[in-house]
Amino acid sequence: MSGAASDTWIVGLGEARTAPTLQDVSINELAWEAVAPALADAGVVLADVTGAVTASQDFWDGRTISSMNVNEVACGAYGSEAKVAADCAQAIGYACARIDDGDQHLNVVVAHAKESEGDAHTIELAAFDPYYERQIDPDETIIAAFQASSLYARGAASAEHSARVVAAARKRSKVLEAVSVEDVLASAPTATPLRVLDRAPLMDTASAMVICSGGQRRKLDRPAVQIVATATRAGAYWRERDDLAAVPQAAEAVRDALEWAGWSLADVDLIELAAPFAHQHLMLGEAVGLGGGEALVERFEHGEVNDSGGWLAGSAGSVAGLHSVVSAARRLRDGNGHRALICATSGLAAQSYHVVLLEAAT
Amino acid sequence: MSRGAVRAAIVATGQTDHGRRFDASMAEIAREAIDRCLASRGLALADIDAVVAGNMEMFEGIYLVDQLFVGALGALGKPLYKLNTGGTVGASVALACYHLVAAGRHRRVLGVGFQKQSEGSTQSAITTVGDPIWERAVMAGAIGNFASMASTYIAESGVTPEQAAKVAVKARRNACLNPHAHLKMPDVTVEDVLASEMLAYPIHRLDMCPASDGACAIVMAAEEVAAESADRPAWVHAVATAHDQQYMGDSPKRLAVMRSLQAASRKAYAHAGIEDPLRDFDVAEVYEPATYAELAMCENLGFCPMGGGGKLIDNGVTLIDGPLPVNPSGGVLSTNPVGATAMIRVAEAAMQVMGEAGAHQIPDVTRALATGYGGNAWTDVMILSAERPK
Repeated sequence: MSGAASDTWIVGLGEARTAPTLQDVSINELAWEAVAPALADAGVVLADVTGAVTASQDFWDGRTISSMNVNEVACGAYGSEAKVAADCAQAIGYACARIDDGDQHLNVVVAHAKESEGDAHTIELAAFDPYYERQIDPDETIIAAFQASSLYARGAASAEHSARVVAAARKRSKVLEAVSVEDVLASAPTATPLRVLDRAPLMDTASAMVICSGGQRRKLDRPAVQIVATATRAGAYWRERDDLAAVPQAAEAVRDALEWAGWSLADVDLIELAAPFAHQHLMLGEAVGLGGGEALVERFEHGEVNDSGGWLAGSAGSVAGLHSVVSAARRLRDGNGHRALICATSGLAAQSYHVVLLEAAT
Repeated sequence: MSRGAVRAAIVATGQTDHGRRFDASMAEIAREAIDRCLASRGLALADIDAVVAGNMEMFEGIYLVDQLFVGALGALGKPLYKLNTGGTVGASVALACYHLVAAGRHRRVLGVGFQKQSEGSTQSAITTVGDPIWERAVMAGAIGNFASMASTYIAESGVTPEQAAKVAVKARRNACLNPHAHLKMPDVTVEDVLASEMLAYPIHRLDMCPASDGACAIVMAAEEVAAESADRPAWVHAVATAHDQQYMGDSPKRLAVMRSLQAASRKAYAHAGIEDPLRDFDVAEVYEPATYAELAMCENLGFCPMGGGGKLIDNGVTLIDGPLPVNPSGGVLSTNPVGATAMIRVAEAAMQVMGEAGAHQIPDVTRALATGYGGNAWTDVMILSAERPK
């Protein structure tokens, strides 16, 4: 495994509205709702942008090549666009590589999802082995329930711990109502031991940022945050994991990024974790090196982890990691922190892990 | 377009035997290409730092296919990137492999594209790219799209069905020299093409590419390790990507005037020092889903004046023994496992540079061009050379 620190800078941040249903905009308009403020924030116009890396999923968009929905608003016709089919935190890593090798200088990174237009169970069922698994009609919630059962059985966490993570997230949410721990534990059961409120609700949303090379950043002379390192690692498919509650590749991805940045975890003062289920935040927190049990839950409650509220506070697949990065970058830019670590997940039972390290400009 | 902070080269390629592969699952097909690729250089998965995978998920209907097949892809515990950009995806994967190496992220990156079209509905999936109100009813699937574009191209350029048919003959005969190709038709004639079923005017059945099962893999290596794996690496001199506007109505002469192909190729040419592509390239592997597309692409790539594609094939310029052989592998017209198709263009160009193309090897190849093409006229370009970039 090789690796390298990045000299890519975030110079513009933008977010579309986040809501259970946004019927007043098309997917294209939804993406533009995020890209336009990001461009304005960077002090550039679309014609200045030469390329983009996008994140979305064909199945959720209901069409093949889902980035065709957005590439004109991401970098204009004839721009250089590439689409990553994973959480956008991974797309950021690829976008940084295109900047760092000199191919691109000023790019947009954008993720979109209009989950209100899809049927979650049908789409998630398509992620399972077509020969051996689909006949029993599973979906992502059922596999997450297996995972939570394993985690709780180990004694490392409990349903109450997860409920407290949800309550902490919803307390910080700008789009979802606050809920109590009791509300979560009393919400409708979905797959034992999970309940409705353990899972982030489906949302329509988009997020974007403008990134550039170090040289371009000096020319733009805008407030900026550096993407110091990115890393990604894939774990095993859910059926092939000895222990669904163990996420060793998450720890490895974090280790990679820190090593490439020359940092230790103690250097980080802002941490965002993005996963669709509450218990997965506890698994990720432990893998990142934040400890476990009561002490870890308190970190969420005190805002030491997921000050933004994270995915549970309102986001969507493909977008959640970028939401976390945009939120962290905004805080660093505003002087509320120096270094940030974001870890997002993709896949069933949080199978793959994508890490982004940010540093405030000095 | 870039030369990158780190010089990078393709050092290994591997392909399945393409066609209707009822003997292997999707995962087995992908792994077959990977194993052949690594074995060709004595590499093991332990030598690979990262994997980039390409597949169009809606064709077989498997969501998060990279996560399901993570083991088969040799990516467990590694960085695994999943791209899907339509017909271009194999080339987009190759470009991603390049960027990840050129940026200094990894030393050896495995790229793999795979598709098992016999397990899906290709035309249904492709139809979803069109506007549901205005386009899907009249330009369904690849055939409908190319029929519309070829009609305009004929009107603009004066190219004839006979000239297009010559492309089909060239492709299917070249495929006979390629052990991996799907459609091999040693005795096919222009008359056979013109007599084949009319699918949608002016596209006959033999004017179109097949729907294949298959996979392709490459290893992209940084300069520091490239020589360990290949005596004659295929160095990347330039890459470029461009896409056109989303809907056909926004660029009505899409085949006659291929703006994204012009934009991407000219960027790459400028970067690689290509002044006269007909002279400067020794071979080209272009992504031609239909016969008319190859003629139009040759024009838009600058192999001949605009409108001169028909004359180019009439004069034998692009034949396997011509001045600039185009698709000596048999091209997309002979083999089309969509997730792998554009990577096959890159791999075949690399094989020509490395001198490993077997019976369809062009003598003395120094510089090769590979292109990818797909939805909304998305174009990827890669220029490979036996000479290390300065």
